[in-house]
This record gives sequence, structure tokens and C-alpha cells, in this order.
Amino acid sequence: MTEPIVELRRIGVRFGTVPVLVDVDLSIAPGEIVGIAGPNGSGKTTLLGVVATLIRPSSGTGSVLGAALGTDDVRRIRPRIGLSGHEPAVYPELSLVENLRFVARIAGVPTDAADRVLADVGLAAAADRPAGRSSHGMQRRIDLARMLMLEPDLVLLDEAHAGLDKDAEVIIDAILRRVRARGGGGLLVSHDAGRLARQVDRVLRIEAGATV
Amino acid sequence: MTKRILPVLAGLALVAGLLVALSSPPDVLQGDFVRILYIHVANAWLAFLAFGVTAAASIGWLVTRRAGYDRVAASSAEIGVLFTAVTLFTGMIWGKPIWGTFWDWGDARMASTALMFFVYLGYLALRRATPDRVARARRSAILGVIAVVQVPLVYFSVVLWRTLHQGLTIRPDSVQMEPEMLTALLVNVGAFSVLYLALLVARVRLARLEEATEVHEEAPAGSAVTAPRLETGP
Amino acid sequence: MSRFWRQALGVAKRDLLVEGRAGEGIGIVLPVGALAIFVVPLATSGSASLLADLAAPVYWLVTLLFGMQLALRQTATETVPQRRLLVLLGLDPVARFVGRTLSASLLLLGLQLVLIPLVILFYEPEPVPAPVRILPALVLYSVGLAMLGTLAGDLTVGLRTRTALAPMLAAPLAVPLVMGASQSLISVSQGDGILTWTLLLVATDLALAVAGVVTARPLEETAT
Repeated sequence: MTEPIVELRRIGVRFGTVPVLVDVDLSIAPGEIVGIAGPNGSGKTTLLGVVATLIRPSSGTGSVLGAALGTDDVRRIRPRIGLSGHEPAVYPELSLVENLRFVARIAGVPTDAADRVLADVGLAAAADRPAGRSSHGMQRRIDLARMLMLEPDLVLLDEAHAGLDKDAEVIIDAILRRVRARGGGGLLVSHDAGRLARQVDRVLRIEAGATV
Repeated sequence: MTKRILPVLAGLALVAGLLVALSSPPDVLQGDFVRILYIHVANAWLAFLAFGVTAAASIGWLVTRRAGYDRVAASSAEIGVLFTAVTLFTGMIWGKPIWGTFWDWGDARMASTALMFFVYLGYLALRRATPDRVARARRSAILGVIAVVQVPLVYFSVVLWRTLHQGLTIRPDSVQMEPEMLTALLVNVGAFSVLYLALLVARVRLARLEEATEVHEEAPAGSAVTAPRLETGP
Repeated sequence: MSRFWRQALGVAKRDLLVEGRAGEGIGIVLPVGALAIFVVPLATSGSASLLADLAAPVYWLVTLLFGMQLALRQTATETVPQRRLLVLLGLDPVARFVGRTLSASLLLLGLQLVLIPLVILFYEPEPVPAPVRILPALVLYSVGLAMLGTLAGDLTVGLRTRTALAPMLAAPLAVPLVMGASQSLISVSQGDGILTWTLLLVATDLALAVAGVVTARPLEETAT
């Protein structure tokens, strides 16, 4: 991959009448991991949503993995994006391994990969526990296990270190190492500037919807 | 100039429609009650037209995402609901002396028209419930395209089911109506068409003004968050 | 198996597993529907012939209102992260619609079959000759309600008033389904043919299927 993984130019997002992002520029080169830091309400999660192609920008232009934002072309590249948001995307009624097997089935990946990555993230012993009765940290590990299983070319982590102990940082390190090796990129959002700086190539600061 | 001329034209057309309706001959069976039908049928046709316009404008929005299509779709739906209400009301007023009842459950056209009314009330409720402008336009455009299926169902209900309602009086190959009555009907259809146009233009203009008066905040959302003013620990 | 059917069946299996574990639909909707069937006779004079006449209308009303709740439940409980996950996984929106419809149809058919003996018990309607003839109508009715519930749920996802709004949108459009199913039962009771009503059900289901397929992609954006 030689084209930028992410290229945003003067991106603006309005929710109703309220501007949330204002003229944001961002680019992520192949093999690069970028960190985003900023106070509450600064627009970090919204920026992540734009890069994930889930939020349509109100202004500006951009591309993610070669697909222009705001066009139908983004459908083509969405399976190459891995997102772990504030809230883990798990089904509480299904067990941890069932959650991963469901994802594998939808993504077209062999379902036995679910058992393998569950062991990789240290949850093999809890495989049959309902996700709804697992801790927030365990649910976040499922989100990360999903990324290990699907091997996305763009890794997006919101509040990357929330709910994870220092041992589990190993999982994030592995995900980032593998995506770099594939020539992909990553965008990490965190309040913990210290941990963030250790894992990314550069940190962008965002305040009141604009990069500073 | 349109905003002055159209309402005046509509008023004049309605007066003309009323005069023609009053001067047309009474019906052999229905007597003078036939005159209600000129308003009833005209409103029904204009309701169909209004919902057809809603569907077409909804498709326009889905293809182009231009706000103008959404304004037309929503405005036309509101007017269509109004015309449908008038259709139902005048139908009931006419039905009592002619059929002996305000409402007959065995009549497919009455029931299907009432259902069409509820479907588009739901369309308006969906719009009111969606605060975000783009989401509102998208959801109601989708419903606007689905809901228009009601229109042919209502129109052909008298053909599909044997009901009290009379069958299709005006078909592409024949018209089963006295010339004076047909004239009265067509003049009223024309009059209500002008009324529809006047209402549509006014409502779309109002929608544009409503959007323009929305207060667009300049300060980004995050600028309202400041550092807390609390003592820190020892 | 093709990608489309793998995804559709994956969604259906997940929905049924979730329902089987949570039991909210069958555990709550079914008892409340049964309660409604039980309560109606208390509001009447209790005459046997009146109750026998009321049996079918009450049955169709309960299956419509509570069946709709069952069909809407899945979209009601889906969270934003879950919806975003499915979009990013590249789940074909039409496969999602088909999968949802499959699972909801099975649940609705189950609800209808369980309520029949209750209605017979409390209302003692006239026995229906050859009751198996009504099965196709019940299946088509379930499938139609399932599609309608999925569509209404997707149209109102994330809205505060969705609990009231979704049934408001779906109920009028469900009338051809109710008519087709109820008139089929009347025709079977009288020993008449059911072709006309079956065709009405098939036509309505086809129209809803087309609507579901055509609107699947635009509706996907409402999910995110």
C-alpha cells in the first residue's frame, strides 16, 4: 500500500446546528499509528466516527483506504476497518466465544479462529461465560480479539486503555505491531497521554473540534 | 409575485367550483346531495396526487440528497392528510342520507382511505420524532416511497371488492356521468388543484423560512467544557 | 454456501439464540398476550354465543399487537456499537433484513400456535372443519408481520418515541395481512375456498419483501 491510509482535508461535522468538528486535517501513512488526545467534548470520538466512515462529514473532503468519504464506495473498504469504541460491541446473551463465532460467520472467516484468538487474549477459560456477565475489561478484550481475528488494515481504538490492565496492553501492542507489518495504519484516542505516546508514532491534540 | 397570485387564483377557483356545483342539476337518485360528491371526489383525487408528489420527491431526495425535495415531500404529505380528512368527512356526510349510515364497515374504499389517512399521520409523526434534519429526511423519504402503495389500493378497492361504493365512474375508455355533472366535477377538481398548488408553495416557503431561522451555533460543542474548579488533594 | 445466505442465516441464528437465552419475547410478550385474551371476556356479558363470535377477532387483534411487539423487539434492544459492528463487518443489509425476517417469522408463528388453544379454551368457538387448511395463511401472516416489524423497527431506530411510533407506522400497513388471515379462517369455517385471501397475503408479503430489499441500504445509514 502506497496511498495514505487516511487523508482528511478541512473536515467539518455538524450535529443539527452544533459544530462538533471544524476544519480538521489528518493523514495517516501506511505503517503509521497516530494518537489523538484532548479534553472531554473536544470531538475525538466524532473524528474516529468519520475515519470509520460511520459519520458523514458536513464539509471537507477525505478518503479512507482509497474510498472517498460520503460516497457509496466506503462500503467496499469497511470490512478492512477495525473499530473498538467506548462501549464494547458484544451481545450480552451470547457467550464470549459465541460472540466471536458470530462475527467470524458474518465476516467469512473460519469459526475456529474464534477459539484461537480467545486464547490469545487470555479468555479461553471464560469462553462459555455470557458476555453480559463478564466484566467491562473482558468485554473490551473481546473487541480486541475481534481485531486479531479479522486483521483489519485500519485499526481505530477509542479510549484505547479504558478498562484494560497493564498486562492487557500487550494485546494492543500486538494489534498495532501486526497492522504496521501489514502496511496498515491506526488511530488511537486516549486520555492517558503517557501510555498513548508509548504506542504511537505521533500525537495530535484536538480541542473544541479543531486540531491544534 | 407567485405568493400573491396563487392564493387569489385558488380563492377564485373555489368560488367558481362552488357556483358550478350549485348550478348543476340534482341527481335522479341522490337529489341535491350529489353536490357533496364534487368536493368529496375532488379532495380524494388531490389526496392521491399529493401523496404521489410526496413519493416522487422522496425518490428525488434519496437520489440527490437535496433539501428542497424533502421540503416538497413533507409539505405535500401534510396537504394530502388534510385533503384525505376532508374526503372522509364529506364522504360520511354524504353517506348518512344516501346509505343510511355515516360509516359502513363492508365498504373497502372507506376503510382503505381511512387506513391511508393513518399511514400518512404516521409519516408526519415520524418526521416530528426525528430531530436531526438529514435523518428526518432519510427516514421519511423511505416511508414516503413505501406508503404510496396505499394510493392504488384505495383507488382500485372498488374493483377488487364488491362494496357499497360505486365502481369506477371515470375510466380511460368511458365516462358514466351526465355532461353537466362531469363539468361540475372537473371544475371542482381544477379548483382544488389550484388550492393544492397554492398550499404547497406556501408550505414549502414556510419550511424554508423555518430552516433559515434555526440558530446556527458558531462555537464548537467542546468549547463549552472548561477545567473544573475544585480543590486538588494534599 | 453463498456469502448472502451465510450472513442471513448467521443473523437469524443469533436472533433466535438471543431470544432463547433472554426469553423476553416469549417470556413476557406471550403471557401478556394470553392475559389480554383472558381479560376481554371479563368486559362482556359473558354470553357463550357472544364469546364464540369474539374468539377470532380477539385472536387476530392480540396476534397483531403483541406479534408486532415481538417483531420490533430485536431492533429495540440493539445498541449503537452492535449496529456499527455489523455495518463495519460488511453485513449485506438485505441479508440482515432476510435474517431478521426469518427469526421473527418463527417466533411469531410460535406465538400464534400457542395462543390458539387458549382462545379455544376461553371462548369455545365453533370447531373449524379441516383446520390444517388455515396453516398457509398463518405462515404468510407471520412472515408479513415479521417483515413489517423489521421495517418499522429500522425506520424508528434510536428515536425516543419509537415504542409508540413503530406500531403506529406498522399497524395500518398490517391490515391487508389481518384481512387475508382472518377471512381465510372464515372461509375455512364455512367450507369455502381460500384462494382469494391467500393471494392477498402472498401479494402483501411480496410487496413488503420488495420494500424491505429496496430500502435495506438507505436504512443502514440510520443505524450508524
